[in-house]
Amino acid sequence: MSGTEIMKAAEVQVHLGRYYQNNKVPFEGGLLDPRMGPANKTCVCATCHGDFGDCPGHYGYFNLALPVYNVGYMTTILDVLKCICKSCSRILLDEKISKEFLKKMRNPNMEGMVKKAVAVLGIIHDRSKVTDGSLEECKSAIFHTKESKASFNVATYILNPIKVLYLFKRMTAEDCEMLYLSERPEKLIITNIAVPPIAIRPSVIMDGSRSNENDITERMKNIIQVNASLRQELLEANAAFRCLAGWDTLQFEVAQYINSDVRGIPFAMQASKPLSGFVQRLKGKQGRFRGNLSGKRVEYTGRTVISPDPNLKITEVGIPIRMARILTYPERVSHHNIEKLRQCVRNGPDKYPGARMIRYPDGTARALIGKFRIRYADELKYGCIVDRHLEDGDVVLFNRQPSLHRMSIMCHRARIMPWRTLRFNESVCNPYNADFDGDEMNMHVPQTEEARTEALLLMGVQNNLCTPKNGEVLVASTQDFLTSSFLITRKDMFYDRADFSLMCCYMGDGMDIIDLPAPAILKPIELWTGKQLFSVLLRPHASMRVYLNLTVKEKTYSNKLIRTEGDEEIRIETMCPNDGFVYIRNSELISGQLGKATLGNGNKDGLYSVLLSDYNPHAASVCMNRLAKLSARWIGNHGFSIGIDDVQPKKELSDKKGKLISENYEVCNVKIKEFNEGKLHLKPGCDPAQTLEAVLTDLLNRIREDAGKECMKGLPWRNSPLIMSQCGSKGSPINISQMVACVGQQSVGGRRAPNGFIDRSLPHFQRKSKAPAAKGFVANSFYSGLTATEFFFHTMGGREGLVDTAVKTADTGYMSRRLIKALEDLFIHYDNTVRNASGCVVQFLYGDDGMDPAQMEGKSGDPLNFGRLLMKIEATCPARGHKYLAPQEISKMVEKQVAGYGMNPDKTCSEAFINSLRKFFESRQDKLEQKIKLIEDFCGDRKSEILEKVAHKISGITETLLEVFMETCLSRYRLKKIEAGTAIGAIGAQSIGEPGTQMTLKTFHFAGVASMNITQGVPRIKEIINGAKRISTPVISAELEFDDNENSARVVKGRIEKTILGQVAKSIKIVMTARKAAIVIALDMETIEDAHLCINADIVKESIIQTPKLKLKQQNITVLDVRKLEIVPSVVKSKIHFELNSLKKVLPMVIVKGIKTVERAVIAEKEKEKKKVNENEKLKKKYRLLVEGTGLLAVMGTDGIDGRKTKSNHVIEVHQTLGIEAARICIIDEIGETMKHHGMSIDIRHMMLLGDLMTFRGEVLGITRFGIQKMDKSVLMLASFEKTADHLFNASVNGRDDKIEGVSECIIMGIPMPIGTGILKVRQRDVVPPLLSYEGPNPIIS
Amino acid sequence: MSNIVLFEDIFVVDKIDPDGKKFDKVSRIEARSQNCDMYMLLDVNTEVYRMRIGDKFTMALAHTLNLDGTPDTGYYTPGGRKSLADKYEYVMHGKLYKISDEGSGKHLKAEIYVSYGGLLMMLKGDPSYITQFELDQKLFLLMRKL
Repeated sequence: MSGTEIMKAAEVQVHLGRYYQNNKVPFEGGLLDPRMGPANKTCVCATCHGDFGDCPGHYGYFNLALPVYNVGYMTTILDVLKCICKSCSRILLDEKISKEFLKKMRNPNMEGMVKKAVAVLGIIHDRSKVTDGSLEECKSAIFHTKESKASFNVATYILNPIKVLYLFKRMTAEDCEMLYLSERPEKLIITNIAVPPIAIRPSVIMDGSRSNENDITERMKNIIQVNASLRQELLEANAAFRCLAGWDTLQFEVAQYINSDVRGIPFAMQASKPLSGFVQRLKGKQGRFRGNLSGKRVEYTGRTVISPDPNLKITEVGIPIRMARILTYPERVSHHNIEKLRQCVRNGPDKYPGARMIRYPDGTARALIGKFRIRYADELKYGCIVDRHLEDGDVVLFNRQPSLHRMSIMCHRARIMPWRTLRFNESVCNPYNADFDGDEMNMHVPQTEEARTEALLLMGVQNNLCTPKNGEVLVASTQDFLTSSFLITRKDMFYDRADFSLMCCYMGDGMDIIDLPAPAILKPIELWTGKQLFSVLLRPHASMRVYLNLTVKEKTYSNKLIRTEGDEEIRIETMCPNDGFVYIRNSELISGQLGKATLGNGNKDGLYSVLLSDYNPHAASVCMNRLAKLSARWIGNHGFSIGIDDVQPKKELSDKKGKLISENYEVCNVKIKEFNEGKLHLKPGCDPAQTLEAVLTDLLNRIREDAGKECMKGLPWRNSPLIMSQCGSKGSPINISQMVACVGQQSVGGRRAPNGFIDRSLPHFQRKSKAPAAKGFVANSFYSGLTATEFFFHTMGGREGLVDTAVKTADTGYMSRRLIKALEDLFIHYDNTVRNASGCVVQFLYGDDGMDPAQMEGKSGDPLNFGRLLMKIEATCPARGHKYLAPQEISKMVEKQVAGYGMNPDKTCSEAFINSLRKFFESRQDKLEQKIKLIEDFCGDRKSEILEKVAHKISGITETLLEVFMETCLSRYRLKKIEAGTAIGAIGAQSIGEPGTQMTLKTFHFAGVASMNITQGVPRIKEIINGAKRISTPVISAELEFDDNENSARVVKGRIEKTILGQVAKSIKIVMTARKAAIVIALDMETIEDAHLCINADIVKESIIQTPKLKLKQQNITVLDVRKLEIVPSVVKSKIHFELNSLKKVLPMVIVKGIKTVERAVIAEKEKEKKKVNENEKLKKKYRLLVEGTGLLAVMGTDGIDGRKTKSNHVIEVHQTLGIEAARICIIDEIGETMKHHGMSIDIRHMMLLGDLMTFRGEVLGITRFGIQKMDKSVLMLASFEKTADHLFNASVNGRDDKIEGVSECIIMGIPMPIGTGILKVRQRDVVPPLLSYEGPNPIIS
Repeated sequence: MSNIVLFEDIFVVDKIDPDGKKFDKVSRIEARSQNCDMYMLLDVNTEVYRMRIGDKFTMALAHTLNLDGTPDTGYYTPGGRKSLADKYEYVMHGKLYKISDEGSGKHLKAEIYVSYGGLLMMLKGDPSYITQFELDQKLFLLMRKL
């Protein structure tokens, strides 16, 4: 606002820098003048007569003696000054050009330097660099004194705010528009200060006469004081110099009033405890934007420690009564609940099913404290609202920080219970990532019916069993449930009738209907097996129509090959001796001991996944509830614990371990000896030390694994750790191995323990010892106890882990935040496009097929798993009586069905899907044909009809089956389409951000070839997401044109790798003769030939000339013959000796051949393709080149490289060489690759979305503050992200308006956002349509 | 009678636990039939019914235990009625879950897989013996040592 505007808006002129008079009454005209609002609860506003609660506050003002800059606009002022003439205030452009520019609204070119004064808040007009004729009067003077130091003072002078104000006032409106200023530029300079209302700078009266004032008030006081003294100084006529100092002080005070950590404040001015300015109020995590506008404090919440309770359903949460008495829900009194609510009212706020308040329809409210409760209860009428205590079945939101994905806050049903913890079923630990070691969780109670419904449908546990990250179930059985299921389903678990019936009652509290199956063993005694118990659990009674069909390979599955049939391998499957193949057929457990793969999370073919996709969330959750109850009670009776005898190795085992270790030590010693003698066989691309390290690390790491395997074999089956590891509930073979056999190699930073002392890790060892024990190998187990040195090494490794986790959390948290901010406003519109808030298309069809990643059944994100579906349908639609199809008929049928369903005009099924369906049936058809042929071979003449029947039984398809299958496929496909309005951006950001937190920070790994490090984990993801210009390990993987020949690969490698002159020169000598002095270079042609490099003297000459530092010209170098050349530097004779010597030093470093940006190239064997190439006797090795360094273009252009298949992991470089689409693919691939490397699968659609977002502007935008700025985001969103003040100041200068359509903006403004359920807007016609009257005779209704 | 019993033959135990002993109470026996040249893998609860190598036993597969041939309901109906089981020592109840084939040409064999509540049976032999079996059929396995 300009000075006059401020004066108009203000109520009072403030002139006193004081607060209270002695009698605690604020001064008139002071900073707490009651006309600006009441200072505390005792006062009344003098302007509006409102009290402390009502008065909105009023502004005051005061004049500054001299104008000062507004620090927030400093850059803008600078920019404007750069563009205008410092004497006439016009833009420094021709009239014509300026008109053109005005049309284009673009900033003009810069002329005439103005620079920000260093260390002073002011602007220096630096005219020293203006050497053109524009400043005539200075020109001659400047010329004369240009070289001298005095010129600086002459050429520059400080533009003071008055001068600038004067310049700005004279600017024309046209020029302002051209500079993209929405307001007059003089408003950038402060002449009058508005004193903010007292409401925003509250004054707190302490006991006694002292008061505690807000920082703003105190700063105001300073300003008033400085201003007063400055005014005084101005009145004294000849105090120009002193007033300058006072002016500066005023400038600093005003600057700090706005932004207290503005730079350039003299040290003397910096207070010990800085008073915060306006900018400080807004910015940062606790600032207004992030602390109060984007996230607010709420009522109706609870927080306490959590504990497990398997007796609760997965959708329930146990709430302590104490909490239930405080949290309320406003329930409207109706016919159905009046009696209940009357009782609640009678009970009052302290007795449990009670109430806290009644609100009457007329707006009055009564708190239920005191004696009148019974009367209120009797007077309760329909339509009143009773704030009653929480009761069973109420809807609550349950949350645990950090809320990394949407499943971190879910909706449960309340269950009021005694004691003091929040309780829930252990199956729901996974989505919250909760454990019960003292974790606390939060609870919120939605207060309206709408909120309840929405919470239940969108956030309900049942509707969030699957993660949208990759479609796996997240809510699944864990820990004890897995252990007990594993034990129950053991092959030798038998129960008699009493036990079996008891167990059946366990799973439903004895309240469910259960059909007792026939016992598996009828004679000699009736015995039921544990597997039958599980079948009962899946389908307790006949009227339950859940027919589950699945096959899973558990960890214990032996995967033995029985035989091969043609190119098909027949595995042992159900007949696995370890009983590791789980087969459930029509809800009957046929075989397999259940473990984590079946019941746990993270498997798409698991039991709950299948229940969820074939049936509904309810079926899955009911099954989980039953299992939780059964296993909790079963394991309570059975008992399961771990003791010292579980980790005591038997003699055999410790002997084996001793042998294993001594054998490996032997090998290590041999290798070390070889190394010391220099005989070690080197690995490609490694020096001897690296090779030795690689070999030893490999060996030592293997010891622990082998020991683990021994343990798994050697321990008895009742061993508790073994059971837990086998069923996957807790622990791995390595953990067991560490307890029982051998702790293994400790690593720090990915290598063996480093040397903390001179040449050794600890003084207990020999210098330069490379022996396993000296470098951190722990041969003991935790049971046998570690030696002192072993213990020390172990702590080294342990500390690294702790540091890693601490660093990682901060890193990934910030990454998630940036991702969310960048992607939050992307959602799916009704036309299937993905757009951002301003309607800009990011994807035309989400993920290229518009499917919901949460519902994908296939492993690699395919919509359906045909094989499993067909199995299910084969099992549920028995062939009895139906005609089997001949193989040829199958494809015909498929086509018919596809034509019926898929190809309808609205194209509900994508082409890709139909094709995959066709392909599936083709393979199926082939199989059947094969079988029939087999049978024909067999019988030839005999009763072929019967035998054909057998063939059909083995792999036949009936017509109905096919029909049902196709129908299910297509209808299910349609259901899996993603819904319009889904906030897919936020989901995608969470799906990428959340796995980041689980990634260990371990940065490097070996990419196949030894010592070819590639950054991995969080740092790599960060690089990709940031769109970093320089990445730490750029690698180009180049395909060769002839990839089966190692020699040709070596040739190409030579072409790529840079060769320096020193490597190919036999000698570089200084030759001095009487006539001339020169350097003669002789090339070592043999080496060159060996390496297949084509280098000769001419090439060397060229490359020397092209090396800029040497400053050698064509005439300096003469080629003597193919292998010799001579360099004669052209310098004065006296200096020639020095010149020659320095040249001699530099010359070996000249790059003669290869790509400069490439560090090195390594020949790598391609991963062997698993097809049966071995039939061709010799497995031909295939090679490719891995090139470390940048220079994709040059590598692609190299002879012998197949440029079409060459890839780089450097996104920016790919963009520069191959274009934006290639960059997009590169982003998607690289993120996918990194995630896969850490064993995390993320649906490709999320990565596509991120890739598209980063490239949709035509350049690679990083997810950083700079990139996000360019993704046309609104000001409020940017302000709530980073650099709050800068964005706000710029927006005010440019006059930006915010349409409030994005997510952040809507949250800040507190209005529903147009995403998800808010996407709909109901329009109501304002005018009532006229009533249509039917004129004429009454219609005859016949 | 013959329509109740789908298959009957005399077997001799060749091996016990061919892959090593994995479970306390259950052993997998490998047996060969004398008449039909059938090969059988069967999990037997050895705690209640001991098996030794070389044991000779007769094995029958029936779809019901009712002597009159009324089909089995699949649910537990205790009661001391007369049944087929009276003549045998060891009786299991289960379900046929897989039919497949092995080999080619003249050596083609058919296999049926039955699960008796997790105790598995694999019966392999000439396809003509297999024709009367159906997928998802409830089967009773009856055994008596000779």
